[in-house]
Amino acid sequence: MRPIYRVAKATFHEAWRRRFLNGILVFAILIIGSSWVFAYLQPGAELKMIIDVSLGAIRFFGMLIAVFMGTRLIPDEIEKRTIHTILAKPVSRAQFLFGKYLGAAATILMNVALMGAAFLIVFAVKAPQFKAMTTESTMTMEFMSGNLVKAVILIFFELLVLLAIAVASSTVFSWIIASIFSFFVYFVGQMAEFFKQLANPERDISHAAQVLLATIYRLLPHFEIFDIREAIMKDQFMPWDVMGKIIVQGIAYTVIVMLVGYLFFNEREV
Amino acid sequence: MKSKNRRWVGWIIVLVLVVAIQPLSDRVNLDRLILGVNPPTPWTRILAAGGKDSKLAVTGVTGVIVGAVLGGFREVAASMLWMKSHELWDKGEGASVEALWVMRLTTLLDPHWLEPWRMTGWHLAYNLYVETDDPKLRAEFLQMGVDCLKEGISWNPDRYDLYFELGWTYFDKVRDFEEATKWLIASIQFPHPEFADRMIAHAFERQPDMPRALDWYDYCLKRNPTDGTATGATITIRERYMPAWRLMTEQRYDEALAAIEKWLQVEPNSQLGLHLKATILEKAGRLRDAYVVWKLAADTHALNAHAAAKVDELGVKLGISTPKSAQYIFRERQARQGRREMKVDIPME
Repeated sequence: MRPIYRVAKATFHEAWRRRFLNGILVFAILIIGSSWVFAYLQPGAELKMIIDVSLGAIRFFGMLIAVFMGTRLIPDEIEKRTIHTILAKPVSRAQFLFGKYLGAAATILMNVALMGAAFLIVFAVKAPQFKAMTTESTMTMEFMSGNLVKAVILIFFELLVLLAIAVASSTVFSWIIASIFSFFVYFVGQMAEFFKQLANPERDISHAAQVLLATIYRLLPHFEIFDIREAIMKDQFMPWDVMGKIIVQGIAYTVIVMLVGYLFFNEREV
Repeated sequence: MKSKNRRWVGWIIVLVLVVAIQPLSDRVNLDRLILGVNPPTPWTRILAAGGKDSKLAVTGVTGVIVGAVLGGFREVAASMLWMKSHELWDKGEGASVEALWVMRLTTLLDPHWLEPWRMTGWHLAYNLYVETDDPKLRAEFLQMGVDCLKEGISWNPDRYDLYFELGWTYFDKVRDFEEATKWLIASIQFPHPEFADRMIAHAFERQPDMPRALDWYDYCLKRNPTDGTATGATITIRERYMPAWRLMTEQRYDEALAAIEKWLQVEPNSQLGLHLKATILEKAGRLRDAYVVWKLAADTHALNAHAAAKVDELGVKLGISTPKSAQYIFRERQARQGRREMKVDIPME
């Protein structure tokens, strides 16, 4: 475990030294901080708008951080040839890969925590004012804040899955191709339900096409399950057991993707 | 274990894990479905809506909007589309089909935003309605407006606004006061402004159903004893219409007609008076006379679509005229679809 911890720690420190990641974080916090300005786009639904823009910003900028950091973890080490020094020590490829992943995951945790904190501060300041302007939400601020914290937690687990995809794809492709691939999987993964509907036996398509579409649906990460904005908009309590199931599914998918990444990385000439 | 074997074992583990998480994945999907927390409108529906009109793909759904949606900013994308509809409005193209699709797409993207539902329903039932003189097409626009508001209610069942909007559309545009009262009564189950209570009384008054109108005005006065409108309406109904109404319920139709005639001599074009007189004549079975009175009410008030629809209703029944009003065509369609009961027997096709 010690080698994994050391690789993770080094990755975490290195990530904070990357300027473009810090730039994304600063920009995200600025957007979240000014989300109340967007609220005026929807008169009468300001509260809803501030939640949508802020959570959308956490997801969007979190996605950028996860992809750009995840896809460069391994290729950078290979390019700089530092990987030879690390693997020459008693560090296995599996330990190296998972250490890198955990370090990046810790970085994402910090980023999401900072963005989430910025959001909750803006919400605490502006929401009472917007709430007084509308009759749409009848719930208390504590209730809404509870749901918002749950939404931020789920965004973190969504980003963990995306990070795993970015890391795993970077073991096969160059970082640019891996980034494009990760973005593609992210966007298609948000529309996973679409493939399920396309594979519907009631539709007039061949059996082979049905099987293919159903397989794509089963293999794709279902990113939409991490999005609970609908519950927040409806002032609906999000039960912890459902939260737990979503988190377990996210972790299970992460393990699978990292295992695939390991299988490719193990075969790769470095 | 050899490297090749280890690789195969690895892939088999991956496959087993992929299969193993499927029940959990299905369970999560089911839980989300039960909780109703899935994204409001499936992608298939949004894409289908865009595909129906090729203009929309160019002018409505811009790359920025698609990007905003994919990035997780559905509400922002909806706001951008909404601004697009304002832009079309300012250019004088507000009544175009393109503007309609932009509005429709906004409701699909953000169905919990009440304003687009309200505006789209109004746009259909009011603006597009007057763009044509064809009663069948007008009835179609009324139907679309009503359906749009009903769909909006299905997304926002715990808010007063759209129930009231639908009630108002039935009251003011369709002039179907029975349907109007149903939706207005539904609206006041939620926090609502004071005038909503009074609107119910107005709708009963125009049906006409004077005792129930009085009940509602009474309810308004109990809630706000200083309500001048309710006070005035109560006095008017008691003085002018209730005597005739009581006589009508006692089937003393001639006396009832004499009672209402007394007030019509003072104000010959009183809409409520004419409605009540026509209703008495209908109850008395004097349909041809009722037809004449409804026609008088329709002719003296160009916007009295309720009277116009009654003229068509009785005209068809008596075989003396063909339907001309969009409101009648709309109601007949509703009746044919089992959505509404017609008061008189309409010969079905």
